[in-house]
Amino acid sequence: MTIVLILIVVLIILIGLWFILTFNGLVRLRNEVAQGLSSIDVQLKRRADLIPNLVETVKGYATHETAAFESVSNARAKALGATTLDEKAAADGEMQKAVGKLFAIAEAYPELRAVEAFTQLQTELSDTEDKIAAARRYYNTTVRSYNTKQQTIPTSLIAGMLGHQLAEFYRLDDDADREPVKVDLSA
Amino acid sequence: MTLQQQIRSARLRTILVLVLFFILMALIVAAVRVAFGGGWGLVMLMVAIGYGIFGYVAAGSIVAATAGAHKIEKADAPELFNSVENAAIAAGLTKTPDIYIIDDPAPNAFAAGRTPDKAYVAATTGILQLLDKRELEGVMAHEMAHVRNRDVRLMTLAAVMVGVITMVADMLMWSLFFGGGRNNDNNNPLGAIVAIAAIILAPIGAALLQMSLSRRREYLADATAAELTGDPEGLARALWKLGSDQRPLRKVNRATAHMWIESPLRDNQGLRSGLTGLFDTHPPLQDRIARLEEMGGFTLPPVPKGAAEAQH
Repeated sequence: MTIVLILIVVLIILIGLWFILTFNGLVRLRNEVAQGLSSIDVQLKRRADLIPNLVETVKGYATHETAAFESVSNARAKALGATTLDEKAAADGEMQKAVGKLFAIAEAYPELRAVEAFTQLQTELSDTEDKIAAARRYYNTTVRSYNTKQQTIPTSLIAGMLGHQLAEFYRLDDDADREPVKVDLSA
Repeated sequence: MTLQQQIRSARLRTILVLVLFFILMALIVAAVRVAFGGGWGLVMLMVAIGYGIFGYVAAGSIVAATAGAHKIEKADAPELFNSVENAAIAAGLTKTPDIYIIDDPAPNAFAAGRTPDKAYVAATTGILQLLDKRELEGVMAHEMAHVRNRDVRLMTLAAVMVGVITMVADMLMWSLFFGGGRNNDNNNPLGAIVAIAAIILAPIGAALLQMSLSRRREYLADATAAELTGDPEGLARALWKLGSDQRPLRKVNRATAHMWIESPLRDNQGLRSGLTGLFDTHPPLQDRIARLEEMGGFTLPPVPKGAAEAQH
């Protein structure tokens, strides 16, 4: 009789421990996902802040490339206005393309490439591009761990009850993902 | 093996090694009890553990002093700074670690600091000259992987455990020489033999475990680095270049060897075991490159012959 009682008590303690560990693990992962998202936001914001400067600098030399300026400004407006993850990703992809086009245009203006402010912006933008990619990798990795944890037994039994939901991956358009914009600094 | 599998298996093996460490500790405690009975053994163990805690706490500053590094700002080396920043972002660290440069033509790099907040990385001037941007990113991601995986703490702990085990074994040895254990109430000859065997074997076993743990963490850090940069080839190319370079570091000692991306010791220093590689802190570069090749689906030419041999 006492043995059964001891077994029951041990079982309850084990289940309690498991519950605490699972609860904390899920919360930690959810926080990491949130941290990853805000890290992406920080870098996207940094890029958006560089854009007006870039446009001004290029405008001084390439006066009639209005279409390119417009598409960059549009992408920036979208990036700043984006609220959902999909909107952010879409604006991100559009921005990459628009900025890439602008740099391609700048190639045709040697005097622009000689301006120090311009080359500095170019370096900073390509660095920001790398940082966005790094933040995206961190975010997607944590989303994968968080989702896997929620979907596997035994955590899946209580994840929903505790209010956890599957997180969304940060996906760029396929073509943009395969071929990230490379800013050529050697030219 | 895929990346995730490699990471999982490395974690499991780490746990196994730690369990073996504790078994060794238990063994030495048992030896103390057999040789001295409860009281003395306990005192001895307390002294050793106190020494161990001191070593653990003091370890952080010693590493930086040994290597002779000076701190840099972003303007001093933007490429290095950016690669560390990017790796820190990809690793999800909230703060970019401090960055140090060591004036040494031998190419190498290391990470230190027990928690990610207090972590710092160091690179030699040699490695900055040798590697291009992509390769440097791979190396810094490897260092950041050590930080994120808490390897510095783990390896400091391992070094301290080896220290404690060795110290207790030494004390036991001396007291046996000087006819200690007079108050022994347990004069069992078999017990004495087991105790002597434990005294001799435990420190060797502990050192072997430490080195094996260090090698596992290198593989794990390589796999994590590949995940952080999404580019296993960058790190593989860096390792390839490091393998072709044979200059030993000027200021290095055996105690901190496990911290570097590549073993800073060379055969001519007489510190490496030519027989088995069991006492190596790092796996052979060729093996590390092979695993990265498998992850990324690419192939590099073999590391130049002379260099590859010297690695083992």
